[in-house]
Amino acid sequence: MIDIQNLHFAYRKKPVFTGLSLQLQPGHIYGLLGKNGTGKSTLLRNIAGLLFPDKGKIEVLGFIPGRRQPAFLQEVFMVPEEFFLPDTPLWHLVEYHAPFYPKFNKAQFEQYIAAFEIPAGSTLQNMSYGQKKKVLISFGLASNASMLLMDEPTNGLDIMSKSQFRKVMAGALNENKCIVISTHQVKDLENLIDRITIIDEGKILFDQTVEAISRKLNFQISFDSEEIKQSLYNESSLRGSAIITANTEGEESKLDLELLYKAIVLNGAAVTAVFKH
Amino acid sequence: MNQLFDARRWWLLVRKHWSENKKKYTLSLVAIAGLLLLWFILKISSEPGSIGIELQINTYYSGLFIVGCLYASMLFADLGSRTRGLNYMVVPASQLEKLLCSLFYGVVVFVVCYTAIFYMVDMIAVKAGNAIAYNRWLKGHSAGDIFVPGKVYNVFSSPDHHANHPGFVFYLLLCYFALQAAFIYGSLFFPKFSFIKTVIALLLIGVCISFFIAKVIAHILPPGNYQHDLTSYEVFTVKPTASGDGVMIYNDPASDKLITLPEWIGDVLVFLLKYAFAPLFWLATYYRLKEKEI
Repeated sequence: MIDIQNLHFAYRKKPVFTGLSLQLQPGHIYGLLGKNGTGKSTLLRNIAGLLFPDKGKIEVLGFIPGRRQPAFLQEVFMVPEEFFLPDTPLWHLVEYHAPFYPKFNKAQFEQYIAAFEIPAGSTLQNMSYGQKKKVLISFGLASNASMLLMDEPTNGLDIMSKSQFRKVMAGALNENKCIVISTHQVKDLENLIDRITIIDEGKILFDQTVEAISRKLNFQISFDSEEIKQSLYNESSLRGSAIITANTEGEESKLDLELLYKAIVLNGAAVTAVFKH
Repeated sequence: MNQLFDARRWWLLVRKHWSENKKKYTLSLVAIAGLLLLWFILKISSEPGSIGIELQINTYYSGLFIVGCLYASMLFADLGSRTRGLNYMVVPASQLEKLLCSLFYGVVVFVVCYTAIFYMVDMIAVKAGNAIAYNRWLKGHSAGDIFVPGKVYNVFSSPDHHANHPGFVFYLLLCYFALQAAFIYGSLFFPKFSFIKTVIALLLIGVCISFFIAKVIAHILPPGNYQHDLTSYEVFTVKPTASGDGVMIYNDPASDKLITLPEWIGDVLVFLLKYAFAPLFWLATYYRLKEKEI
């Protein structure tokens, strides 16, 4: 669905990607994690055809994004971190914007709007940033575009809305759709994403499915100083030390995305070595 | 599905643009009407009397040039903002459809609406001017004087004092469309302060062309004069001075040489000058839009 080969991209003279390669398949929710300024949004904008690669190849659904052909644009919907929605009534979006998306489903849109508790007859002008974001997410999901790109979608959402977001997103995936969520708020995506891609300094640091992570790594709280010492990553907490160890016994543990992220950034070589066995 | 142009998609864009901008456009038209009315009121108060054809034509074209270029420089203003630009770019329509939608509003709809607004205000102003002029005529006319009321003139036909140039208004309109097209391109080329930057860029281009013609070309060509237009050039006669230590350059039709380019070159040049500027700027805008990154 998305095939990125040897992507090079720079803002003027500041290189962001120097040879990034990545393949994304339909039927998955990908979590694109990384520090601020590592190129997550730039990657999404390259995939959406808003930026052009300096070198390398990007192919999305068989299209070259940079050509911005209508057939490509109606299959890709982007929810940017900072966005603009015109000050029109909500129904204007359905009346005037939705016809551009042949697979747009009005009933679905109304269902998502209701799930996010947005009053149906409201005007975008009178909405808060968070409400507008929920409208945009609802529209993107109802557009039934094959590719949904979301840049920090939970920014600006309150605690209840984040929970609504996870619920809505979980129900929106199907085998034809690929959802890429870029975020640095990893807690918001737990139990939602099924593949984790961590980028740093324009390179892929880690790229594994949640299933593989659960099979290979063990997340637990430990009081055993020897175990803590030998762990791949540890972090003191009030309840003891949160650690990540290699899952050699085939134990089941709850994936702690934030812990994993820190482990990859701070001790990436040791963690990735586990996946090579 | 045609990826370059599809009439249905273009129409969807036109509808979407209207739904998002109708408030702004309606208010702008009201503001234009107000400014035109204010202008006519000022003119009637300073020079009481009927409103003549010259004032109507000058007002129409001054307004058209100023407001038209201002509006043109805002056509792609959204692309100067990352959020608005992204919202614009991701709409599933081709760049050609997006450009044609902007040209539809910026060129066609604007001229039609501006003309309608102008005539609406003009009719009111002419009636008001006539009423004032008639009152003055009643008070001060002598026997045999006839009151001639002003009328609403057709601003697209040349006034009498331009009788020698029947195409004057037509050329003015061509000039307007060329200039407006430059401002449309400027609105995409300069993301911020596009109107001012386009004015400066056009002035600089004008200065450069003048400098090139006056200094560079004049040095390359032998001493002489252009005849009628740029396609024929009269080379002055050059003779040695009597003392033999210099040359004399003088204009003598008997010995001057006239260099004339083939007529078709002149025709092509005139055609390009008349009709090519606006389409060339539109084409440049299209390619600029295709290359635009957000």
